[in-house]
Amino acid sequence: MGFDIAFVLAALPDVGAASLINAWMAIIICLFALATGIGLTLVRSLKIRAINAVVDIFISFVRGTPILIQIFLCYYVLPLVGLDLNPTTAGIVAISLNSGVFITENFRGALSALDDGPIEAATALALTPAMIWYLVILPQLLRRTLPMLVSEGTVILKNTALLSVITVTEGFRVAQQIGGATFRPFEPLIAVAICFLALNLILVGFGNLLERRNAAIVR
Amino acid sequence: MIDPSVLSLSAKALVRTVGDTRILDDIYLDVPRGQSVCILGRSGSGKSSLLRALALLDPLSDGFIKIEGNAFGRDMNAQGLVKHQTQAEIDQIRSRIGFVFQDFSLWPHLNVRDNISLAQRIVLRRAPLEINETTNGIMSKLSITNLADKHPGQLSGGQKQRVAVARALALSPALMLFDEPTSALDPELVGDVLALLLELKAEGMTTLTVTHEMSFARRLADRIIFLEKGRIIADGPPANIIDQSNDPRLKQFFKLI
Amino acid sequence: MQLDPTVITDSWQLFVTGAFITLQLSLISFVLGLLLAVPVAALSMSTHAVLNGIAILYLAIIRGVPFIAIVFIVHYGTATMGARTPAFWSGVIALTLFASAYFSEVIRSTVSALPPGQWDSGRVVGMSRLQTLRYIIIPQSLGPMIPPGVNVTIMMIKESSVISAITVGELTYQGLVVQGNTFAPFEVFITVALIYWGITLAFSRVAIWAERRIGASQRSIRPVGGIAERYLTLSRPKRRAEKS
Repeated sequence: MGFDIAFVLAALPDVGAASLINAWMAIIICLFALATGIGLTLVRSLKIRAINAVVDIFISFVRGTPILIQIFLCYYVLPLVGLDLNPTTAGIVAISLNSGVFITENFRGALSALDDGPIEAATALALTPAMIWYLVILPQLLRRTLPMLVSEGTVILKNTALLSVITVTEGFRVAQQIGGATFRPFEPLIAVAICFLALNLILVGFGNLLERRNAAIVR
Repeated sequence: MIDPSVLSLSAKALVRTVGDTRILDDIYLDVPRGQSVCILGRSGSGKSSLLRALALLDPLSDGFIKIEGNAFGRDMNAQGLVKHQTQAEIDQIRSRIGFVFQDFSLWPHLNVRDNISLAQRIVLRRAPLEINETTNGIMSKLSITNLADKHPGQLSGGQKQRVAVARALALSPALMLFDEPTSALDPELVGDVLALLLELKAEGMTTLTVTHEMSFARRLADRIIFLEKGRIIADGPPANIIDQSNDPRLKQFFKLI
Repeated sequence: MQLDPTVITDSWQLFVTGAFITLQLSLISFVLGLLLAVPVAALSMSTHAVLNGIAILYLAIIRGVPFIAIVFIVHYGTATMGARTPAFWSGVIALTLFASAYFSEVIRSTVSALPPGQWDSGRVVGMSRLQTLRYIIIPQSLGPMIPPGVNVTIMMIKESSVISAITVGELTYQGLVVQGNTFAPFEVFITVALIYWGITLAFSRVAIWAERRIGASQRSIRPVGGIAERYLTLSRPKRRAEKS
């Protein structure tokens, strides 16, 4: 039984439609991950030793363990502490936390490269810390880390495929189902790979657009 | 001690085009053995490009170079057809040219002694005894013997300069090319660099130096070449070029500096 | 919630086997991936349009398709082509492809970051391209490649958990097996997570040690002082310069 491109094309419509689920999940996760990343960064900037210790352990854990295990933890273990989430929500939570941690670590590096000047000036002008963050630091931070954020976006998109393992209906799972039903497992997989590459292309294109607009606003 | 019967360097019709611009536009240059040439010009005039092209660091679009009468890079055979040399042939002749980079480009992972001896070992394949002798001799001549075991990261600018010159001299070249030897150093070291180059000149070394230091050029050069937009627009002894030129472009340039 | 540690202690052999197979997968793919990364990196640095294009295409596919899809494609693809590969080796092939893409990027970015004068200074004394590479470029590149290289290795170890999906008996798979038997997800997955965490922490330590030995690159920590320090640092300054 050899490779037949007709079967790839036949699978594309269903797989493609299901891949849109990956797309909108990824968009939601990107927003949550960014919020988490910013939130964690703000908390860490307060430098309360006890909180930072816990946060640092959490970050080390998330960075040191596979995303799949984190997904399992959210899906199987959270119900035991009362948080019974459906698979999709559990998956979104897991990936958001995961990427949020990577984002805050990237922010940490970028923060130390910012200039003292604008912050000192803002303080002298009696701006509150909240205003300084909102008006001075975050805009610069986001501008500088844009490439990294786009690249994390592609990671988020790829990670949504893992949610198939906890029974979320999305592109990869549909590809597996078609493969099981038609006894041709290979071609639908190629179809879903193509869909992900297409989505990736769109994401990177969007990222380039943002970067170009970014570059127009020179420091 | 200029020997006009031997040309250390002969360049004919050199052209280097990048995109739409002719960075080097029809350059002719014959340098007899022992002559010290300084190449001057505004930034962007092509002076560094010329030096790099003579060493074949950047490719030429057209033209021929001869080092001590030997074709370098491309050759014209009896039928008038252009023949490109093989990489091996080019590498053979490279050791006849010593090049000192503006930022010295020393090899940071090797100590000074290894910087000087590496090319002797793997390019010229000299015997270890000869390498030792040559290296020690050159280090002593440039007063850097005490730096033999240090790494470039531990050296001052002036010391790096000497090591870079030593590394180039180690291959016993016929011709030394210096790319802006003073620009990476503190101003008070310019005198030391001049003294070094004058010493090489006294020993009969043929040198081409790209520089923007006018007083440097006046004291060192037997001959000054002035470049503008990739063309040589003046070529002669320092007195003619710097002090007595009637060309308005030159007068403006030397008045400005 | 009742915690039952016997769930773990009864099945400790499965966890050990799983960890062992995870490390096997990772080690073999590490070596093969590194070997494959060298030609890919060479292609990606080539000025030849077609050769460069091949590298770009390869990298785009490996890094753009979810790893779980790559695993399945390799596994079912080899079956479709007629050669039924054991799942373990499908996993190795997939992880090798993954590693080669990321290692090649490490190589490319490290070598490109060297000052161009280093290539010139080799050529100008008559060294061939190969000699310049061997004596000048590579020795300077090895040190700086270690931190990102270890990062990629840690990524590989974590990514290997996905190979459980084609029923290879690595750590995650064993965890799912035990969980299936005991219905104690907390104990099982926390244990599995801790084992992975331990492995990756160990590798991070190795990186720090290796970097110190092979000669760490200069890291400039700009001193942040005064009022700005309150905002721009996320931890209290230690006495030694902190590496992030």
